[in-house]
Amino acid sequence: MEHREPAVHLGRGFWSVTFALAIVAALSIYAWVVAPIAGWLPEAANKAQQIDALFRFLAASGTALFVFVVGYLLYFAIAFRRRANDPPDALGVQIHDNNALEFWWTLIPTVFLVILVVFSIKIWAGIELGPNTGLTVEAIGHQWYFTFRYPQINGEITNAMHLPVGQPVTLRLTSADVIHSFWVPGMRMKADMVPGLINTLHFTPKRVGRYQIICAEFCGTLHGEMDKQWFVVDPPVKYAAWYDAWQKKNSTASNALPVQSNARVAFGAGDAKIGKQLFSQKCTACHALGPFSQRIVGPGLLGVLHDPAHPNLVNGDKATRENVAEILQNGYKGDMGQMPNQTANALSNTDIANLVAYLNTLK
Amino acid sequence: MAVTASQPGGIADHIHPEPQGFIRKYVFSIDHKIIGIQYIVTSFVFMVLGGLLAELIRIQLMNANGGFMTPDTYNEVYTIHGSTMVWLVIVPMVTGGFGNFVFPLQIGARDVAFPWLNMVSFWMFPPAGLLLYASFLVGAPVAGWTEYPPVSLQGGPGTSMWCAAIFLVGVGTTLTGINFLVTALKMRAPGMTFTRMPLFVWAQFATAPLVMIATTALAAALAALFMERQFGVPFYDPTKGGSPLLWQHMFWFYSHPAVYIMILPVFGIISEVFPTFARKPIFGYKMIAFSSISIALLGFMVWAHHMFTSGLAPFLQLPFMIMTMVIAIPTGIKVFSWLATLWGGKIQYTTAMLFAIAFIATFTLGGISGVFLAAIPFDLWAHGTYFIVAHIHYVLVGGSLTGIFAGMFYWYPKMTGRFMNETLGRWTFWLFVIGLNGTFVPMHWLGLMGMPRRVAEYDPQFQTINRVESLFSFVMTFAILLFFINALWSIRHGKRAGHNPWHARTLEWQIPSPPPYYNFKHIPTVLANPYAFDEPVPYAGLEDELTDSPVPIPAGAH
Ligand code: HEM
Ligand SMILES: [Cu+2]
Repeated sequence: MEHREPAVHLGRGFWSVTFALAIVAALSIYAWVVAPIAGWLPEAANKAQQIDALFRFLAASGTALFVFVVGYLLYFAIAFRRRANDPPDALGVQIHDNNALEFWWTLIPTVFLVILVVFSIKIWAGIELGPNTGLTVEAIGHQWYFTFRYPQINGEITNAMHLPVGQPVTLRLTSADVIHSFWVPGMRMKADMVPGLINTLHFTPKRVGRYQIICAEFCGTLHGEMDKQWFVVDPPVKYAAWYDAWQKKNSTASNALPVQSNARVAFGAGDAKIGKQLFSQKCTACHALGPFSQRIVGPGLLGVLHDPAHPNLVNGDKATRENVAEILQNGYKGDMGQMPNQTANALSNTDIANLVAYLNTLK
Repeated sequence: MAVTASQPGGIADHIHPEPQGFIRKYVFSIDHKIIGIQYIVTSFVFMVLGGLLAELIRIQLMNANGGFMTPDTYNEVYTIHGSTMVWLVIVPMVTGGFGNFVFPLQIGARDVAFPWLNMVSFWMFPPAGLLLYASFLVGAPVAGWTEYPPVSLQGGPGTSMWCAAIFLVGVGTTLTGINFLVTALKMRAPGMTFTRMPLFVWAQFATAPLVMIATTALAAALAALFMERQFGVPFYDPTKGGSPLLWQHMFWFYSHPAVYIMILPVFGIISEVFPTFARKPIFGYKMIAFSSISIALLGFMVWAHHMFTSGLAPFLQLPFMIMTMVIAIPTGIKVFSWLATLWGGKIQYTTAMLFAIAFIATFTLGGISGVFLAAIPFDLWAHGTYFIVAHIHYVLVGGSLTGIFAGMFYWYPKMTGRFMNETLGRWTFWLFVIGLNGTFVPMHWLGLMGMPRRVAEYDPQFQTINRVESLFSFVMTFAILLFFINALWSIRHGKRAGHNPWHARTLEWQIPSPPPYYNFKHIPTVLANPYAFDEPVPYAGLEDELTDSPVPIPAGAH
């Protein structure tokens, strides 16, 4: 059946409403452009400033779109209601289509989204792809608190993470139990702390101050209490003093970093139970408990001391307890990457004995 | 005995005598209309339970330090609330409920393709719901409706019951998906070409494969979680060589399509209500139909937008961001087309139409916050916070549930032969809209300012806003209560509606209300698309439908 489309006259009312909506939309865009976002929530890092710029763009354009949709919705709803003097079943204008209109309302949003994608990618690249330079700090999620580790220091801090203002930082995040998420609203960013994985965030702290660290992934009964630790940005001098004090405290304490040594490991004293626990804390980020071919970063270690298919270790040595201990002490760099040494992994020779005892139980 | 005609009605002509007796008629029924109503009623029963849990949540959150429930109980409550609303309310309501009742009628069929399968699908649903609620007896799951391992591996025994319950409803919906797909392809009345299908039919047609394919991924994920919890098979535990992210991928491979399972049929409802009450054709029929299909396809390519913070390989993140933005285009086309449908109309303000109009505003807000979240850097901020809670409630309450109310007021006369009370309907509408926005608008702000989701206690600076939200949520709950009172009261006391009170043009309105056992005495022939209001109703062969001749006639035997 052929329909003849009636001619469409939008009329004065339509254009006045459009004009009014354009003004409201422009005002709301302006409101978002000047909105004091940093006053509502301080911008602790350079990335927070960029994410806020993106948010401004989203909020401004989103509000403008919303103003138009709801404005036209209300206008049409009121202007095109059935009037009291209309016949009870009066018909509306019988329009089915309008190709030009449909073309434009497909094209304009598409162009807008392309701009949004490009803008987002630019900021995203800085966060995700940044070089692993600057100060590297590790944060580890636990049920239900965070701990932090600094380079060259073995101990774990349990109250606040200190960072110097103006210096690039790489945060390495992981978990000791379930998934947590490390979120500092003042930085805008978060990343999940996944057991067995290391996620990174790159940024430069920009504003001295104290910011809440909050867990943003459900992690068990007391998830809601994981918001009581601090992300502290210090002036460089203050940071240096804090770091020295923390380092000193650790070097005198019993948990000072082990020194790399080639002293013989006392295998007899190794406890496989303790080794198992150590393994899940320090090794599973890179090693699966699967066959040699199941690689995460390094090879799978199931049966490493008993696998007839792999009589040799990655460095070519025979798979014996002594040679495994030697790799744990000195690390090894091969095709798969760098296995850290004993100091970097914070393993004492006793730890190594325990680990070897555990590995020996895997068949 | 069965009489089977060869042409042209196919399965539609497989006519059995109407079953007698309460059990065969109303309990183990194979009639799509009864099954549809069973789904709707059961979903509403679960909505009452889920709603009670929601109010427990809101009571707990009136104090920053919680205290109304222990954190463990609180975690159980919101987990069952979310699981109920998704799997026991919205999904069954829009597929099994409205899908079953309306869609076979709209294509001029006498039933779905596999009526027995349809009965089986339905009867998986109430036991699954009971199983889910029984988990409270042994310690319900606590990790939210997404149940991420490893924390869900630590949850109480109820978590395994959760797996089993969701698996069971999942199998039911998968079967419904298969059933509907075959029905849409094989059982349309003669002359109902694809471009003559009503838009609600298009919506169900686009949803059916989503249900079929996505739900199977969920079933696999759930089976693995169950095996890991009960038998220690290491799928997800990283200390045993499993991968916690595997669950997230499988869960979202289902659950993103699932959000479209929950909204596409509702788009279909809106596309029926708008033309009927604006008294004009739906604007851009082809684009609305086409956008449903493209949303369904694209819906499979965006799941990892739920995982931007999880440590996904960087270059995997980009395609997911881009595809998510792409979905906003067909979604926008629909919204604009609905707006254009209002232009130049002669709008009749029934309660159904009020809800449909409100849907445009609230759903658009949810769609806009969705685009925000698709932009990865912003998602790093908002993920895991109350901003997400705001987004999902705008799309699921402001979108799906608002549309469901529109559909209920619209099709209630077809289901029962009576109107729902319009005065009470208006009260429901205004209280619902006020309560909804008052509850969920402030959540955007809370999330961005630092309130994470799924917490039993929170920073005291947020307490005032939370109290305001709780008050508004009581208003919303009261509105829903009015709706239930209305729906129950009107079964007996509503004004009689006649067969086509809204002067609607799709096939279900051309036969008596409620429709008789085999729907159509003759299978009608469809001559055109239903939406040209200035033309006569485009069907042939409906002359006898409103008279009292007793038996349905196979289509071949004119
Ligand atoms: C234009 C349309 C939409 C876009 C672009 C969009 C985008 C997103 C994104 C990116 C997320 C992930 C946020 C995060 O967890 O960080 C999300 C979450 C969610 N969306 Fe949407 N969305 C849209 C429409 C919908 C619709 C129509 C529904 C349902 C009817 C829906 C339901 C949900 C739900 C339930 C979640 C949260 C799941 C959870 O973590 O519990 N969305 N959306
Ligand atoms: Cu999604």
